[in-house]
Amino acid sequence: MRHLLVLVSIWALLTPVYATVDDAISRALEAIDPYVKQGYVVRDDQWGGDLGVKEQKAFPHTLFKGNDYWFCMGTDIDNARIAIHVYDSKGKLVENSSWQKGRFAAARVLAPATGTYYIIVEVSNSPQERTSWAMVYAYK
Amino acid sequence: MTKFCYAALVVALAAATSGFAETPPSRVDLSKFPATRLDDVVVPLPSEVFNVLDKLGSPNWKGELRAPDIKKRGARAQIALLLGSVIAEGFVAVEATDKARVKEIGRDVLDLARGIGVEKTVLSRTNAILMKADENDWVGVRRELDGALTDVKKAMIELKDAQLAHLVSLGGWLRGTEVLTSIVGKSYSADGADLLNQPDLLKYFQQRLVDMPPRIRSNGLVTRVQRGLDEISPLIHQKITPASVKRINEITGQIVRAIDSNANA
Repeated sequence: MRHLLVLVSIWALLTPVYATVDDAISRALEAIDPYVKQGYVVRDDQWGGDLGVKEQKAFPHTLFKGNDYWFCMGTDIDNARIAIHVYDSKGKLVENSSWQKGRFAAARVLAPATGTYYIIVEVSNSPQERTSWAMVYAYK
Repeated sequence: MTKFCYAALVVALAAATSGFAETPPSRVDLSKFPATRLDDVVVPLPSEVFNVLDKLGSPNWKGELRAPDIKKRGARAQIALLLGSVIAEGFVAVEATDKARVKEIGRDVLDLARGIGVEKTVLSRTNAILMKADENDWVGVRRELDGALTDVKKAMIELKDAQLAHLVSLGGWLRGTEVLTSIVGKSYSADGADLLNQPDLLKYFQQRLVDMPPRIRSNGLVTRVQRGLDEISPLIHQKITPASVKRINEITGQIVRAIDSNANA
């Protein structure tokens, strides 16, 4: 019985963690949805985790000249503010446009040349110490 | 007023030094991200390359098609490389709008996935490939091929077999690069050659092979792949000329044929 209680307690502690990551993915997919309607193809894969306030994470990604990309980010934390931007391999901002709306953020890039780019995500503000987030992208 | 200016300067400096302000900085110091792990590298899907190739003209895709004999099975490493290569072949078949070949490839993907224990993962994808090929839904077939690649890799990682997942990606990259160089080589253009500017992706695959456990790294085929990547590396790290396109095509072609025939395994 005692073991069962311990297991239930552990499960109760873990469940919200998984739920928030899943919810962040849902938010990221919500952010990208308008672009799907514009003919962008969403990659059936997600990137995510949790970050502290002002903490950033970079994802190196080979982008191909001729493709038009939207990178979208989401979090399930109310009142959190997140950001996503795209830089080239020399650290120069290359995105054609970007936006931030609280729990959602996105950046568009028409790769000026094929090569490595850095998708940098950030939790700009959050009421929580660690904020779960997810990123998805689409291209056409 | 002076106090106000000072306060404004402090706020501006704080915004500039701690993450993104409302307007992102036009430049960032990428050395701030030294801890970027190999796992954070995003490996593009084959359809991202084929999407660009679509815009570059109408090559003779039927002429690029090959029919690897998937019955020549070797170690799991060879099956993983072959699976990636066959999925990439699926994209060529889609470009060639070859319904029969696409359906064969769908069945081959299932067969090879069975060989490395991830058959259930791709069953719905391969069924969808067959169905969408019948409907001439080529965009749909591409999505299912991309999905099959992603699903296989996720399943391998869940099975604690991430090394094989990397080999699946590598097999796809090798066959994709062979096709890309063949097409660019037949009608050279700067834009076409620019698609080969993937030095960091190549470095990523090289590092993945280096990090593999000795039991996989010592596999003859894996050694051959590693040698091939080392040969391609200097060609990709400089201006890509018609001669380098031809050479990369030869190297990737030899490796893909070795994978197909289970040579060196």
